[in-house]
Amino acid sequence: MTAARARLICLIVFAAALLAVPHVLPAFGATFWVNIVAEILIWSLLAASVNLLLGFTGLLSFGQALYFGFGMYGVALSINNWDVGFLPALLIGIAAASAMALATGIFAVRLTWHYFAIITVVFSLIFYFAAMSTKWLTGGDDGMSFSPPPVLEIGDFSLTLADTTTQYYVILAVVAVAFAVKALIVNSPLGLSFKAVRENHRRAALIGINVFRTRLVAFVIAGALAGTSGALFAFFGRYASASYMFYHVSGEAVVWAVVGGSGALLGPLFGAGSLIIFREIASNFWENYLLAVGAITILVVMFAPRGIAGAWNDMLQALTTRSGHASDTVADTAPAVRNNALPEER
Amino acid sequence: MNEFVLALAVNGLVWGLIIALIALGLSIIFGLLDVINMAHGDFFMLGTVGGLAIAVSTGSFWLALLIVPLIGLLLGAAIEWLVIRPTLRQASLTIVTTFGLSMIIQETVRATYGPQPRRMAAPIDGTIPLFGIDYDLYRIAAAIFSALCLAAFFLFLNRTKIGTWIRAVRHDPETATSLGIPVAQITAFTFALGTAMALLGGVIAAPITTVEFRTGIDILPFCFMAVIIGGLGNLQGTVAAAIMLAVLEGLVTSVVDPTTARIASLAFMSAVLLLRPHGLFSGATR
Repeated sequence: MTAARARLICLIVFAAALLAVPHVLPAFGATFWVNIVAEILIWSLLAASVNLLLGFTGLLSFGQALYFGFGMYGVALSINNWDVGFLPALLIGIAAASAMALATGIFAVRLTWHYFAIITVVFSLIFYFAAMSTKWLTGGDDGMSFSPPPVLEIGDFSLTLADTTTQYYVILAVVAVAFAVKALIVNSPLGLSFKAVRENHRRAALIGINVFRTRLVAFVIAGALAGTSGALFAFFGRYASASYMFYHVSGEAVVWAVVGGSGALLGPLFGAGSLIIFREIASNFWENYLLAVGAITILVVMFAPRGIAGAWNDMLQALTTRSGHASDTVADTAPAVRNNALPEER
Repeated sequence: MNEFVLALAVNGLVWGLIIALIALGLSIIFGLLDVINMAHGDFFMLGTVGGLAIAVSTGSFWLALLIVPLIGLLLGAAIEWLVIRPTLRQASLTIVTTFGLSMIIQETVRATYGPQPRRMAAPIDGTIPLFGIDYDLYRIAAAIFSALCLAAFFLFLNRTKIGTWIRAVRHDPETATSLGIPVAQITAFTFALGTAMALLGGVIAAPITTVEFRTGIDILPFCFMAVIIGGLGNLQGTVAAAIMLAVLEGLVTSVVDPTTARIASLAFMSAVLLLRPHGLFSGATR
């Protein structure tokens, strides 16, 4: 069995497990955990937006919470003011986040590494403070709540988020589509040009890639992913709050992305999943569980810079090559971050 | 009214001098190690908490002012050895490790010291009349002491052997190595010194701010603004920018609310980052 086939089988098993969640977990009396898995799926999209920038384009953003916040407010404001349905609200949220990513990205992607990380934090802080002080519009710290419209309504038949199982499948569907789109993009010629820019932006420019535009496109796509995450989280919590735009939310997303494996497509899901499950279990009996999260973050960067997904791929590779077949594919996980990227950029 | 504005400007100057001390620590760490230290605000917070704890247990604020920076030196050296050095190869990822460090420091303080905010009595009582209001004497003393520390720092950097070594390593680590300068130790010492300066700033600020595990979160963006506007790695620029920003924010808050003032300085900082990435004073000596 080749590593590629093993990975495919694992993916199918994983997808089946996600589909089974709302039926299996309640059978064990763990209905509460259905919502936790839903939350993991939502946050993994925010981590995926960091992952796309860091792992595939070589840009470390510390401000993705801004686009998450725009996704949230896109949904909350459009439902409260214009009384729109589920799908339009979702799309408005994503569009608002993408537009914001475009407007800020035009400036941000001119910078790299340290400077890029700082300017993304600064942009998110500006809008965080602005959202905090415009209470009449955003509700500030307290946020604003709304009642979510039905997802689908045909005659008497209607699907609403009030039902935990329906809500779970709606979230799973949107997240699956987002991850599929991300996978398609990453494996397309556009995705290759992302990687070319990550590896060496001068060489990329010399073979005719417009480095600025490539980075900007990646930044807008990442903003759309973060916006999708925020829009879903607004539906999930039935409210939007400016506090989710603070840089600690961005930092958490970076931690999930790095722990999960910043060069792997499903890394964000593993990172957000393992750390949120850890939080749910540990916070019951240990108030200061964040101590361990901080330590895990540092240890992963030190000893496993390719994260959980990197370690998992290495293991699959080792297992499948030992069984006698030469592996024909190399795991497409990129090295987490290139060591040489920094001096070259300065 | 005009006098009130002047008092706000003085208040800004006091904060600016304290912030300059902290931001200078951030700036030397960045200049030498290329590390964006997300935990720097928490080092400051450790200074306020440590200052309060030692002042309460020994009954002397001045003892705290002496001990806490020394603790900072040791702590900085330990952190450099444990956390920073192993991840220095991937300079960009040190943002992530120091963010993890920030979580660890905040949670440690919350677990041991408690989550409730506290206030510290000023070690110097009394007020002096200043521009028509009674101004705390301690704030004036804090400003003077911070200014003395800043002067001492620049004397140390420019007039001592270790200071010269630090500048040499900043300038060109490879040549410094070949000249026999112990680069690894100098790097560790610089991180420790930067940490100690943040803790020192914390002790000085403890009587005029709230003391709790979250104090560092607010101070970090301000320090970054000073470092960026002054020019990453430009030490004099950092000091000038910290004082300028604090005075300007103090003045602007007499007209608009503090949040708007903060937004204005952040927007100003983005403009500097984009138009003059080496800082506002990039023409001056580096």
